[in-house]
Amino acid sequence: MRFLVTDTLIAGLPLLPVVMGIYLVVRIRQDFDLTVDGSFTLGGAITAVLLNHGLGVPLAMLVAVAGAAVAGLVTTGLHLAFRIPVILAGLVMSIGMTTLNLHVLGRPSISLDSGRTLFGGLIGLAPEVQDWLTIAILAAFAAVFLAAVGYLLLTEVGLALRATGVNPRMARAQGVDDRRSLALCLALANASAGLSGALTVQSQGFSDSSTGTGTLLAGVGAVMLGELIARPGGASRVGRVIAAVVAGTLLYRLILVGALRAGLQATDLSGITALTLVAAVALNRYLPEIGRALGRFGAGGRLGSRAVALDGPRTAAVAGGRPVADDGPTVPPARQPAAAGRASASATMKEAG
Amino acid sequence: MLRMDGVRLVHGAGTPTEVVALDHVDLEIPAGQFVTVVGSNGAGKSSLVNVVAGVYRPTRGRVLLGGRDVTRLAVHARAGAVARVFDDPLAGTAPDLSLADNLALAAARGRRRRLSPAVTPGRRSGMREDLAVLGLGLERRLADPVTLLSAGQRQSVTMLMAGLRKPKLLLLDEHLAALDPRTRARVLDLTLQMHERLGCASMMITHSMRHAIEVGDRLLVMSRGRVIYDVAGPAKTALTPSDLVDIVSGLGDAPSDRQLLAG
Repeated sequence: MRFLVTDTLIAGLPLLPVVMGIYLVVRIRQDFDLTVDGSFTLGGAITAVLLNHGLGVPLAMLVAVAGAAVAGLVTTGLHLAFRIPVILAGLVMSIGMTTLNLHVLGRPSISLDSGRTLFGGLIGLAPEVQDWLTIAILAAFAAVFLAAVGYLLLTEVGLALRATGVNPRMARAQGVDDRRSLALCLALANASAGLSGALTVQSQGFSDSSTGTGTLLAGVGAVMLGELIARPGGASRVGRVIAAVVAGTLLYRLILVGALRAGLQATDLSGITALTLVAAVALNRYLPEIGRALGRFGAGGRLGSRAVALDGPRTAAVAGGRPVADDGPTVPPARQPAAAGRASASATMKEAG
Repeated sequence: MLRMDGVRLVHGAGTPTEVVALDHVDLEIPAGQFVTVVGSNGAGKSSLVNVVAGVYRPTRGRVLLGGRDVTRLAVHARAGAVARVFDDPLAGTAPDLSLADNLALAAARGRRRRLSPAVTPGRRSGMREDLAVLGLGLERRLADPVTLLSAGQRQSVTMLMAGLRKPKLLLLDEHLAALDPRTRARVLDLTLQMHERLGCASMMITHSMRHAIEVGDRLLVMSRGRVIYDVAGPAKTALTPSDLVDIVSGLGDAPSDRQLLAG
């Protein structure tokens, strides 16, 4: 059990930035950017190579994040200059970047000199202490990053970004340059992926050319799981958005770590990722009905009214529920056990499958 | 405030489906003037609005707002000078964002957006005052996503947003068309108050002959991409809706005797 927690945190915390970045693109821009697969690897590769060349951790990570952000800007450029849809531009980029990343690394996989990484100071400590200090360092990074993105979203610039995703025509009429918004969004998402890559390779001690493969899909799965739990609704509740990202990422990792602990092989993880994504989509889609059915038996009226709002406030309004009323202080006690129940249910489902 | 010099707009130029949407439109609307525009479908009203708003760039001619040539400026770059209210009452607001966020977005129209918080307690109380003027009780619903508001409430909010920064031109694109009669009257009232308060030029596209005659200082009729009828003052108020229907529908390109007499 103890390993389950530490493994989940050590594997999950480095991914918080990239999942936040994916949230920005998928939920706020309503688009998909596959570039993150490449930028995640690129961030890791740059960090590994620079650290092995003797550069300091802060500088290496800064270059990694900047390099990944540039990848996002190139995708934006492809989209704006040639009118390639973002999803296709990202696909092209992620494929092209496989080659780029191999050139950066020099060979398919390199190991890091563990003394030079962010966690170099922890060498020699008891394994348990080492784990928890690693977790503390990763958590500090994630907390600072999420707070910064949360603040950005609340500023005038961030508000413009949120508006372009919901109603681009109106945003333009209100003077928002949506090309610039897209550039900001993709640069930020890929910089986040770069940061996650940099943290991941340092915590796992090696960097290879496929570190980032499947990042987007895993991120989308985490976002959907998070939404099941934190239900951010509209993009105006920035705190809820961050809560959803944190909960989704950690829960998603918990499922993977749990699957490994339950005896599945590492080769099965891709399948688990796909199943988790499908399960999250299905739950998002059908939970309202399940909730209503339960409500009819008088067992879960509360669950029903909460679940109705999953697709956002629009459905809630149609069903007559007011998410605003839902936001009251009565919710948290009811939410936690239900969420945990659902989590373990989907985890057991995975293990069985 | 708004000036259009020889504006021509051709869609699909050089293709078999070439359409002349605007054909040499010259128009000047001074500050403080309220102009209504009528015309049948395909007359060029939407093209006129879209050229002024910056959605389409004219094939020929110039568009000036407050003396500044904006012909080549994109929608967002001229948004400080043009406040637009759409025909679809749901189009002018961002549905998933809160009422406060929508107002904050409009409050920064036409100026550089900063890295400071968009909604502050001070701004919130200003928003409450602005919303209280609408008399819809919206001042208590700042945190609600706009999607929970009715179409009439949303169009009222859009009107309010249009007036948050002083535009040079208020562009009303059939903004009453989708509202029920009572809401329509209320939003029209709000429109006129807004026009008075802002002292800007206003251009209202409408399908209601009665509104076209009763509202505003000047009336334009469009047909086949041209302004075929331009009347102001007593001659405008003397029109009856049926006169106007005749002018709008009966004529084609050539003005009839009756229209020439009326003009």
